[in-house]
Amino acid sequence: MRKSNLHHLTAPLIDNNPVTLQMLGICSALAVTTALDTALIMGLALLTVLATASTLISMIRAHLPSSIRLVVQITIIASLVIVTDQVLRAFAFEISQRLSVFVGLIVTNCIVLGRAESFAMHNPVWPSFLDGVGNGLGYGLILMIVAAIRELLGAGALFGVTVMPLAAEGGWFEPLGFMLLAPSAFFIIGVLIWVIRTRRPAQVEPNDFPIILQVGEEKS
Amino acid sequence: MMKSAPLHWDAHRMSAATFVALLLPVIATVILRGPEMFAPVAIGLSLGLLWSFVFSVLRKSTVQWHSLISALIFVVLLPVATPVWQLVISLSFGLVFGDLIFGVRGRGFLNAAVVGLAFLLFSFPAIEPDSGAPQVAIVAGLGGALLLAYGVLSWRIVAAFGLCIAVLVPFLPASADLQNLQSATVILGLVFLIGDPVAGASTHLGRWLYGALAGALVILLGQAGVGLGSLSSVVFAALLVSIFAPLLDQIAVYANVRRRAKRQRYEP
Repeated sequence: MRKSNLHHLTAPLIDNNPVTLQMLGICSALAVTTALDTALIMGLALLTVLATASTLISMIRAHLPSSIRLVVQITIIASLVIVTDQVLRAFAFEISQRLSVFVGLIVTNCIVLGRAESFAMHNPVWPSFLDGVGNGLGYGLILMIVAAIRELLGAGALFGVTVMPLAAEGGWFEPLGFMLLAPSAFFIIGVLIWVIRTRRPAQVEPNDFPIILQVGEEKS
Repeated sequence: MMKSAPLHWDAHRMSAATFVALLLPVIATVILRGPEMFAPVAIGLSLGLLWSFVFSVLRKSTVQWHSLISALIFVVLLPVATPVWQLVISLSFGLVFGDLIFGVRGRGFLNAAVVGLAFLLFSFPAIEPDSGAPQVAIVAGLGGALLLAYGVLSWRIVAAFGLCIAVLVPFLPASADLQNLQSATVILGLVFLIGDPVAGASTHLGRWLYGALAGALVILLGQAGVGLGSLSSVVFAALLVSIFAPLLDQIAVYANVRRRAKRQRYEP
């Protein structure tokens, strides 16, 4: 694999992460991250749809009239999502029940259409595939981190296996009920963004409203 | 804020005024509950100091000592039976995500004590708060009067809050315990949580709407939830209404703009 091709795979992991830098896919990141297994399946479903959609769209990009390209892209993505949803229902019914509408809602996930429109339309098949896989992995990575924190602190478990026995069942761990509510994912993603931007200052956005000291206040 | 005040009201003076007003309720609570309050107060103050210090180092700025006041409000309203580690987690969350993360005080839109208490009530719903002693309610009222005199607490918010509750009380079922609406929790909540100038609205009309909405929410959440005047009803009313405050201000500004535009049309 050439180095520039490898870049398409690794850049979306942290440097150009779809969730923490581009702020896409936040809705599903809040909804499916109460447990690790749902987050993993959701990440894999998105990865499959994204990689396949990018590959297919890249294949037909030269034949696609610009005026109808969005319609065609959405048709391809929607077909893939329906197939993924049906496969999940056939082989992992329980998980697909817990994920409820969120696999179907991958159609509206901005990451998929965003990569198709901004990358697959202008690049050959192999880089498009790698870009799709990379972005899927970047999304899945954030989902798994958030879900690990939420499941561990909210239910004392990882992948449904009890790590810290709950006080209600004779153990010692008092779960943080807040972690099972959607707002906690906001705070965890916020802290993740904070950590990433502290390590990589290039991602920091310009300060639109800098703090101006009042007259008479000491300048530090 | 008083228009005639010759003093320069910077953030430090606002914090100092709030601190003076808060001193009496804190002392009253400590006297009434006895030595078991020493540990929470000490831990709260140390946490406030610690997080302010951490953030002053991170941001290379001066230490914000308003965190100490947020910590004191939090500790006074805290249910007695709360374990220490729950206090530490909730108060740290409130201080960091409710206040310090926004930069200097006044940049945020929430009260740190409200955020911390909301976190506590969400995370550990088993906790049963008490409504506080009537003596605390009286001294909290005195503190509120002091803040009203300083102009830190807006009289419009207090008036709208009281009026709205007075209007809604006749609609409550006869079984409702109205005495709880004068409990220490409600008075402290009105003066230090809902009345916080940073979390509250800042236009005249906005403050009337803000106070009325707060009163309605305290009644509604109290009646639908644990009980009138309960800690959760006051805290969640304060949280919700401070999220609405910018919108209420926006409505006030918009109404002002409309009125002026109309006036200009008639006087070309």
